[in-house]
Amino acid sequence: MPDWFSLGWIPSAVLPPLPVALPLAMCATLLATAHLMPGRWPDILASLTALAVAALCGLIAVRAADAPLVYWFGGWTPRAGMPLGIGFSVDAASGWVAAFIGTLFAASFVFAWGFFEETHGHFQILMLLFLAAMVGFVFTRDLFNLFVWFEVMSVAAFALTAYHLDESALAGALNFTVTNSLAGFLMLGGIGLIYARAGTLDFEELARAVAHAGRDPVTAGAFCLVATALMIKAAVVPFQFWLADAHAVAPSPVSVIFSGAMVSLGLFGLAKLTAVVFTGSDQVRGAVSLFMIGAGSATALVGGWMAVLQRHLKRLLAFSTISHAGIMLLGIGALSQGGTGGLLLYLVGHGLVKGALFMVAGILLATRAGIDEIALRGLGHGIGPAGIAMALGGLLLCGLPLGLLDQGTRVLQGALLDGGHPFAVAATVVGAGLTGAAVLRAAGRIFLGLGPDPGNEAQAPSEAEREKANRPLWLMLAPCLVLLALNISAPEAGVARLAAKATPTFMHQGGGFGHGPEWLPWLSLALALVIAAFALGRHKLPRWFSRPVRATQLAPTRLLEQVHSGLIGDYVTWVVVGLTILAGLLATS
Amino acid sequence: MSWLPYAVAAWLFGIGLFGISTSRNYIHLIGCLSVCQSATYVLLLGIGYRWDAIAPIFYDHPPGTPAVDPVMQALVLTDIVVGATLTALLLVLTLQVYKRSGTLDPERLRPMRKNAGGGRVGARQEPGAEAQL
Repeated sequence: MPDWFSLGWIPSAVLPPLPVALPLAMCATLLATAHLMPGRWPDILASLTALAVAALCGLIAVRAADAPLVYWFGGWTPRAGMPLGIGFSVDAASGWVAAFIGTLFAASFVFAWGFFEETHGHFQILMLLFLAAMVGFVFTRDLFNLFVWFEVMSVAAFALTAYHLDESALAGALNFTVTNSLAGFLMLGGIGLIYARAGTLDFEELARAVAHAGRDPVTAGAFCLVATALMIKAAVVPFQFWLADAHAVAPSPVSVIFSGAMVSLGLFGLAKLTAVVFTGSDQVRGAVSLFMIGAGSATALVGGWMAVLQRHLKRLLAFSTISHAGIMLLGIGALSQGGTGGLLLYLVGHGLVKGALFMVAGILLATRAGIDEIALRGLGHGIGPAGIAMALGGLLLCGLPLGLLDQGTRVLQGALLDGGHPFAVAATVVGAGLTGAAVLRAAGRIFLGLGPDPGNEAQAPSEAEREKANRPLWLMLAPCLVLLALNISAPEAGVARLAAKATPTFMHQGGGFGHGPEWLPWLSLALALVIAAFALGRHKLPRWFSRPVRATQLAPTRLLEQVHSGLIGDYVTWVVVGLTILAGLLATS
Repeated sequence: MSWLPYAVAAWLFGIGLFGISTSRNYIHLIGCLSVCQSATYVLLLGIGYRWDAIAPIFYDHPPGTPAVDPVMQALVLTDIVVGATLTALLLVLTLQVYKRSGTLDPERLRPMRKNAGGGRVGARQEPGAEAQL
């Protein structure tokens, strides 16, 4: 019965709500029964649920290849063209992104196997709630529903960040919670404004109203607020400060999800709203082009630079996520098929690689009881495969021409070149190079024992950390390698065909896209290798060479460190600054 | 519709932000966050309001009677639920912070900066920054 295996017996009409309903139902079940379950049952159930969500989303994506699947809750279909109810509308691109999120969660659940003792399933419950919120966020076609999923996602994330309840985790979680709650309020304000103008919250109807309104301060104000909210989630400069604090202190399996999926979902939402809802307003398009290209370039560079300065591995990876979020934002700023298509590919590729790298950091925390690069120097012996995974991850981050991340990078760079943004292309090259350099340097120091003998410096300045140690290495390594393998083995021709077909449906407009030059990724790879080699071998270089190089870095480094003060009050001030700049650009464009 | 509710909303949001960015106590900071959120209530209710209209309950009114916009009221209700969740979560975090470190001052509690607590700007170096490059 071939039809049975192709799942033809499941009607498309009931599919869209299932990947959201399933994890929520499992949440409720676990909450009621987890304390009765023996041993590892919550782990098993959660992993299977995440896998099922991934499979369902994949099926939805396949079914949505030609036209989006639309589902109206409670049978509230539009009457006389007026949507009254709340709907899900899943195009192929959204379906695949949701399938990727499900996969990442499944990998993270396997990685977290036995991570927590005696949790009564609370960790799994929060994670499944997080998963349901993300899928809902990706599928919805109603602005207020988008806000609700955004908030559910945030609340689950806040609680997960503070899971360890130690001093660092609590302070990081507080910063995260306050900044992201503000994002929620801004978004709600924006939703109110656009509703005042359009009288509807459905994406398609909103798009019509926005196109009809023309140049309109209310629409522009609504965009300003909603876009700022999503960019706070996406950690774009100058809204990025919370991310490093939160990602560095969250438990490793949670950091995998934060960096791999949550941050890029902010960008996904922004891309969807820009392309679907606000595309009819020239005012918004003009400001988007200016702000996103400028902020994206700045984010890519600042994130990369800060990553190189870190010695706390998870904080290093967190800054690298900021840098890559900036590169993805450039895809939105390009305002073209290539930009958005590249962003979608990059989102999945980056999520897989960054998830794998956070797992390596988790392995080091568990087996070597440390996360400080200098203190871990040479301690990587005996866990060689983790070192290979880390080096491979670093190489992929900075542009090793292999797999999904590289494909996304080239499409994105092509779109930026076509759009006439050579400076932004340079920022992608340098940003990716810097983050790759930071990861490669750490891998070289930890697993090969390179770099100078630290002596007294080996004392880590941050508090001692470790994660639960008695988990088998292969169990932690397997999901990490699977994620890297998924990124590398994605068939290039097939993915290109898929992206070329899915992007126009996602953006509601036709067009095609090309590739950037083949040598650009090699350039960032070379840059990364040179910087990593310099950082590791600096003590062997003659002083007349290394000293001036170092002197040029001191001023910008000091400035950046002062700005990343860790103070919530400063972060909020920066939010206001960013909001003002975007509002100014909207007013003048 | 008059401009007054919008002005009130903007004022509330602004004063809340000012409070957050200058706060030296987490409980006070959470209060300021709630003030910011009140701005969204005022904004949404202001948008949905109609003069000379009834509440959107048609039990003892004939259908067709002008009513205020029920969508906005639904949004505000959701917003209140979100606000309650956030405040509860933040207060729990604050309680745990106080139990562990005995302070509620954000400046003494910077994440990842162990010896924090000195002067305001630039008193702290990023851990090990210069060791790297």
